[in-house]
Amino acid sequence: MKRVLLVMGLLGVTSLSAEELLIKNVRLVETSFQSGKVSDLRIVDGIITQIGADLVASAGTAVFDGEARAVTPGFIDSGTTIGLAEVQGLGVSRDGEQVDDDMTAGFQVYLALNEDSSLIPIATNDGITRGLIVPGAGDSNYAGQSALVRFKQGPTFLNEETMAQHLYLREGDRRRAGGSRSSALAAALEALEESARYDKQRRAFNTNRNRSFDLDESDLVALSAVRRGEMPLVVQVDRAADIIKVVTAFRSYPDLRLILASAAEAWKVAPLLSEENIPVLINVMENLPQNFDRLGARLDQATLLADAGVTFAFLSGSPYSETRSLGQAAGVAVAQGLSWQQAIAAITSVPAAIWGLAGLGRIERGAIADLVIWDGDPLEVTSAPLAVLIDGEWVDLETRQSALANRYVELLNLK
Amino acid sequence: MIKLWVLIAGIALSSSSAADYPSTYDPPPHAAFVLTHAIVDVGEGQGEFEGWVSVADGKIVGIGMMDDARPDDVLEINAGGRWLTPGVIDVHSHLGDYPSPGYRAHSDGNEATSPVTAEVWAEHSVWPQDPQFPLALKGGVTTLQVLPGSANLFGGRSVVLKNIWSRTVQGMKFPGAPYGLKMACGENPKRVYGSRSQSPSTRMGNFAGYRKAWIDAQEYQRKWVRFEKALGEYELWRTSNDGETDYKEPPSPPKRNLQMETLVGVLKGEILVHNHCYRADEMAQIIDLSREFGYQVTAFHHAVEAYKIGDLLAANNVCAAMWADWWQFKLESFDGIKENVAMVQAAGACAIVHSDSARGIQRLNQEAAKAMAAGQRLGLSVDATVALTWITRNAARALGIADQTGTLAVGKMADMVLWSHPPMSVYARAETVFIDGVRRLDRAAELAPVTDFELGQREEVF
Repeated sequence: MKRVLLVMGLLGVTSLSAEELLIKNVRLVETSFQSGKVSDLRIVDGIITQIGADLVASAGTAVFDGEARAVTPGFIDSGTTIGLAEVQGLGVSRDGEQVDDDMTAGFQVYLALNEDSSLIPIATNDGITRGLIVPGAGDSNYAGQSALVRFKQGPTFLNEETMAQHLYLREGDRRRAGGSRSSALAAALEALEESARYDKQRRAFNTNRNRSFDLDESDLVALSAVRRGEMPLVVQVDRAADIIKVVTAFRSYPDLRLILASAAEAWKVAPLLSEENIPVLINVMENLPQNFDRLGARLDQATLLADAGVTFAFLSGSPYSETRSLGQAAGVAVAQGLSWQQAIAAITSVPAAIWGLAGLGRIERGAIADLVIWDGDPLEVTSAPLAVLIDGEWVDLETRQSALANRYVELLNLK
Repeated sequence: MIKLWVLIAGIALSSSSAADYPSTYDPPPHAAFVLTHAIVDVGEGQGEFEGWVSVADGKIVGIGMMDDARPDDVLEINAGGRWLTPGVIDVHSHLGDYPSPGYRAHSDGNEATSPVTAEVWAEHSVWPQDPQFPLALKGGVTTLQVLPGSANLFGGRSVVLKNIWSRTVQGMKFPGAPYGLKMACGENPKRVYGSRSQSPSTRMGNFAGYRKAWIDAQEYQRKWVRFEKALGEYELWRTSNDGETDYKEPPSPPKRNLQMETLVGVLKGEILVHNHCYRADEMAQIIDLSREFGYQVTAFHHAVEAYKIGDLLAANNVCAAMWADWWQFKLESFDGIKENVAMVQAAGACAIVHSDSARGIQRLNQEAAKAMAAGQRLGLSVDATVALTWITRNAARALGIADQTGTLAVGKMADMVLWSHPPMSVYARAETVFIDGVRRLDRAAELAPVTDFELGQREEVF
């Protein structure tokens, strides 16, 4: 409440849609939340146009005083499901996976997103401004295509319709393709081969002369984009032995952009991943040996990957409600030996680079103004955003949850 | 005659058979020591001080500020300004019953075959080689309650464990800790049985099921009271007649019913009720239910709406065990808020942060910290020392073991955690954990338990 009042109070004097905004006295964090220069940021039309000391507001410009608080780029979640289910446990409210089809590469989650979901501002309150909304494995190992969103309710929620293709090859996933890891991987590769045949015969296909393909056209088009490197392929795989096989198998497609996710045992094959420049998306807090694929799961996996020079970013997973939050995950990684700077990078600049999000994940001249001004250390569990900007516009941090809290604080006279 | 008396006494006792599954936990001896230069928070919500704690024979024998005189004839461990707290206690866990790896063959947490399974005991499912136990120890957890799952109205008995590596669950059982009874409100029982076209399929069906079981328990209790009365009369006759006049048969005891034994244990106040209940309106109804049958609810677990009825919880002396921020994973959790724990505290009720998760149990301190900070932002006066009581003292109270652990006090078990950073920080790691004075984790010394499951196939991490 206080946070919102602070922002709204300052904004009261000007207009919400001011094209120019001056943020005074925010700390551009470096190696800790207390290090780095205190600077001013000028934002014009959603872009950071100037960074420096004592910037002067032009007439009519809204001014926000950060009081030397830490500012970070908005966090980027490399995999969650917000917008796909209002209540995760309610099957009827869930749109995150396609079932009753053994090939769903053509499935696109963006068509199912709820831009008014009450969950969206709750993520914003954790400092997250962008994220990939990822399909779950339904009845197909190829689960379909993720979307990129902005964590702001309303028509701007959807940022990019399609971002990546998601393939599930963990222990439990083999049941969908022949019951063996061997058949699952073979089926995944065969589908890519079929997309190559389709590409060669597109003209024949389009003129109805050759339609002898096992897969639907939407799947063929989707897999073709993967094969040609137009869309990255995110493979959920845990066991070290499987990671090696996946990396080796997909080498036959020189343009294919492979990304690993989950990857509990990635640290065991870190030199390979580093050498082949394959990024890894991990959920820091998933350290349980829940199955034999994950025997090597450990809490300090990010530190081991960093030491080996592997590119990695963090994701919060699904359901968001149980795995929040990204900042906490990064904090846990620091407690386990990762540097503070690398932990921040794993939820800002690194995912921006992995996903090709130009202008995001960094605070620099010309960058998109996705900014979070914090009331403390951004990685501390006790911290929260004081203010959040997405595309240079303030986000209302009021949530359904804060409304509930306020109602009962008053009703029970708790203050 | 004496023989017969012994036999009868044995039968009477067997109506509560806990003695048949005793704890064999016997902490190994350790050298007496004094831990000095620690920032001590004893877990009473009264702040911290720089001081020392001395330990001998598993018990805390002295606590003082650095200026106070301390034992100088025992081993001194210099904490170097690190933070010392009571061991963390999780009142809601399924470790051992839902272990890792989590295959069906290992899934032993929920006897979901009937809405009333008060006869099952969680301890009979615990796999002591679950690698999740040492992971919880690395989060500072010294004591935990393992509960049956929530598919049933009455899920069965819980067990309180010391978080030590042992070949047997008996070797982990917290000596003398009361049993708990797991009950469940709301969606789970009605979903599990409703989907089988069986009662309960509604919340009102849930309540009818609770009431029927308690009525049966009252009847069972009366049978035993009648038997014990008859036995007393028989004994009086026997001793006064000295066996000289006409012979009388001793009364025969009622047949034991394990389900009813557990419920009667609650009615007698020997077994504590731990009630899974999300919604405020249902908690209020459960309090009425407990009045109808004359028992006390010890704690509501997963009480995501406790903030709506903090006053009611305080007035009825019921604890609320909560997550910091879980919500939305099911409809009855939709109104979950981060301010929940702090609002329950502010209403004067007993607040606890629990995990119900093999991941969450590794960082209950962080969860308490989140809840604290959310309360502070709302303007409630909760601080780090109060937040610590949510995972120590208050948890011990709900488990009925507050006289033995949960705070640092002379005479209590030396269950203690030395943290690398202030315990309400994400950066805090439990560096050294003592259970009954014995070092069970010491990262610097590369001392940590390794379960049989992990041995030879999982790297040790300190």
